[in-house]
Amino acid sequence: MQTGHQHPLTKMIAEINSIFAELGFVFAEGPEVDTEHFNFDLLNVPKEHPARDMQDTFWFKDKDVAEPTVLRTQTSNVQVRHMQDHKPPIRIIAPGKVFRNEATDATHEAQFHQCEGLMVDKGIHMGHLKGTLEYFFERFLGGEVAVRFRPGFFPFVEPGVEVDMKILSGDSNLKGKWIEMMGAGMVHPNVLRNCNIDPEEYSGFAFGMGIDRLAVMKYGINDVRDLYTGDLRFVNQF
Amino acid sequence: MLVSWNWLKEYLGDTDVTAQEAADLLGTHAFEVEEIEEKGGDTIIDLDILPNRSSDCLSHRGVARELASITGTPLANDPLATVPSLPETDLISVSIEDAEACPRFTASLITDVEIKESPDWLKARLEAIGQRPINNIVDATNYVMYAIGQPLHAYDAELFPQVDGAWQFVVRTATEGETVSLLPEGTSTEDRVVELTGTETLVVDGSNNTPIGLAGVKGGRFAGVHDGTTKVIIEAANWHPIRTRKTARPLGIITDAGKRFENEVTREMAAYAQTEIIKLILDIAGGELQGCVDTYLERVENQPVTVSVSKTNALLGLSLEATAMVDILTRIGSEVSIDGDTMTAIGPWERTDLNIEEDFIEEIGRLHGYDHVAAVVPEAAELSEMNKRHYYSEQVRRVLIARGFSEVITSSFRKKDTVQLRNALASDKSYLRSSLIKNITATLDKNAGFVDLLGATDTRVFEIGTVFTKSEDGVAEHVSLCLGVRLKQSGYSGKEDTVLTEMTAAIEEALGTNVDWSIEKGVTECNLTALLDTLADPTAYDPAAVGEEIVYQPFSTYQHMSRDIAMWITGDATPESVEAVLNDSAGDLRVRTTLVDQFEKDGRTSLAFRLVFQSNAKTLTDNEVNQIMETVYTAVAEKGWEVR
Repeated sequence: MQTGHQHPLTKMIAEINSIFAELGFVFAEGPEVDTEHFNFDLLNVPKEHPARDMQDTFWFKDKDVAEPTVLRTQTSNVQVRHMQDHKPPIRIIAPGKVFRNEATDATHEAQFHQCEGLMVDKGIHMGHLKGTLEYFFERFLGGEVAVRFRPGFFPFVEPGVEVDMKILSGDSNLKGKWIEMMGAGMVHPNVLRNCNIDPEEYSGFAFGMGIDRLAVMKYGINDVRDLYTGDLRFVNQF
Repeated sequence: MLVSWNWLKEYLGDTDVTAQEAADLLGTHAFEVEEIEEKGGDTIIDLDILPNRSSDCLSHRGVARELASITGTPLANDPLATVPSLPETDLISVSIEDAEACPRFTASLITDVEIKESPDWLKARLEAIGQRPINNIVDATNYVMYAIGQPLHAYDAELFPQVDGAWQFVVRTATEGETVSLLPEGTSTEDRVVELTGTETLVVDGSNNTPIGLAGVKGGRFAGVHDGTTKVIIEAANWHPIRTRKTARPLGIITDAGKRFENEVTREMAAYAQTEIIKLILDIAGGELQGCVDTYLERVENQPVTVSVSKTNALLGLSLEATAMVDILTRIGSEVSIDGDTMTAIGPWERTDLNIEEDFIEEIGRLHGYDHVAAVVPEAAELSEMNKRHYYSEQVRRVLIARGFSEVITSSFRKKDTVQLRNALASDKSYLRSSLIKNITATLDKNAGFVDLLGATDTRVFEIGTVFTKSEDGVAEHVSLCLGVRLKQSGYSGKEDTVLTEMTAAIEEALGTNVDWSIEKGVTECNLTALLDTLADPTAYDPAAVGEEIVYQPFSTYQHMSRDIAMWITGDATPESVEAVLNDSAGDLRVRTTLVDQFEKDGRTSLAFRLVFQSNAKTLTDNEVNQIMETVYTAVAEKGWEVR
């Protein structure tokens, strides 16, 4: 009997969990269907704010739900829910499926996987964000990696940054190139307050990376839609 | 936004910085550079202006000011340096019925203008950033918007009547069902007539209550500037960000003007824009300024914000001196004072995005440079919780993968099911799946024909994924586990359910619990979320492979072909050595060789192989594959192996 193959996404999620667990990050999860309140409002993305345009959203019909409800556009809803239920120190990752109402092509799917990370404690700063991400990428890609920040904007963080990564060692064909990896930043004080955490006492970093994009980088997948077609000619290579 | 380097240099003055260096500086400290391209003696930089900077940096002056903040060299020519002073007129009357929507409305009247083509320099400026020149007045409004970020609109004053010796502008909310004719879009010559929902804000001709524009979004057809226009009224107003969205979004009208107002252009800018455009129109269209009105209902000024030096360092992970922080904030145009650990900063008047301490901390971080932030790996901490769903999912995966099952992740969307989305991507993706059974059945159908190609003997797949149902409270979801088997390529054979019974038993044994399965037509599903409640909390994760190297090869989507070959082998030939001979002779189109049978009879060994052929470029014909097989037969014969 030939053994079967694990899907690259769940394989990567297991790997991501394993690496972050070494640092004490808990694998948290939450619903794929969530209210506008958790998906947007508590994350400092108010109604009618232009930041809403950054994420085209699937909505449920009013008659089916008690309050405005969406397919989550990010796993940040997990961050908020976790912070509401837990006191700092908090270290979580939240991998899972998310949805965007966008046209699909080789680099975009309307459903894809994201992994958010969140660390809240006394004295957390951007250096911890950089260190955590470098640690992760070096373990995940097996080699020396540099991480850099560029200014970015996401309503739930301030300062907000775009994170690029560069592989420094090994023989990867991506070596030596800066690659745009994710958005991140220091958790916005409004978000902390919304979760009953005092921003004067605690600070935290948050990041959100696309796991599908990691698959493109790590395995050289050329079309992210292949991840969701159930085609064994694809899956059985992993 | 497309930015012209020549245009930026008008504000920057003489500079040693090259366009490429400027782009690099902006990329590091301010905005992502999408593209940089030399074009007709200019360099065009495509910048991704962040939403929080769209209020001031969707303009050449804003980007130039940003460069000045980065380099520390002040702008040589700043169009916003002088506080404007507008001569008044009684010829225009403004009545704002909705002060929230419109905190400020300015208008100026210029008579005896001559509508003509813009001068070459102005056309070149607009064309450089992808804008089509129209006529000098319209071009002037566009120029000023791309110069300093304030959208403007030009009306032909003679197309609407004066009342009591003045043109009457009214700002009011639309009524539901009211219609407005808009200027043609793109290459169209037809007006666009839109019916309003009642959330929009309108600029109205007060003489007869006719809408003449969608406030802050788009000008109306009525009273638009045309070839014979001689008297123009220029509007430079300030529109509330949310109210602008409520005007633009229901109608799906996204314009350069709307984008700017949605991101809160400062109320102060309107008067600066009037100053700029009056100067420009008098210069390129002639005429005489009759005067301006400025109805400024509510002035909002940037408030002092307390910024702690120690908190700034604590959040950025830096150890900057207070003087360095003050220097950076001064460079961006803030007024800053310092007392011990406390800075008090007022953001520059043209920026509406600097409102809390963290906003200023970000300015210090990005202008100082995030490359100064040293990486610190947090000290490892004990894992305080385990994810039960993940732990047991991994257990199930191990059981199934060991038994030949491959894992799939299929679409959460379906053509028809229970829960329907309000705004689907496509009609065949308008529902969410309530079960994985149909997806797994479809996956078996799709893959059954690939058995030879994959070197398998049957098709086994599973998925662990979320499914959605209706409940009393709304939409419910749970994680489902579904597995399916297909033994024959032709379809369900009836024997699959026995295989599944063994598999489900293996899962139950691994989990140490009984599960409720209903097996039907080679597929079975269970509610994993419910099952987890019955299982013990895990205490440690099993190790996962980290850093495994897999290089993916894009697969061919062309039809594959299989050929079997069986032979009696001789001497010390082994399955491996025979396979090597077969592979060598079969050439590059062979994608897989599988040993399908082996037996011994009368001291002789028989081996049977299945060779699979596939091209990356086309569907192979029988003839092509037969020719390859002839080569294979010859190679086998040369070895003295008798083909059966």
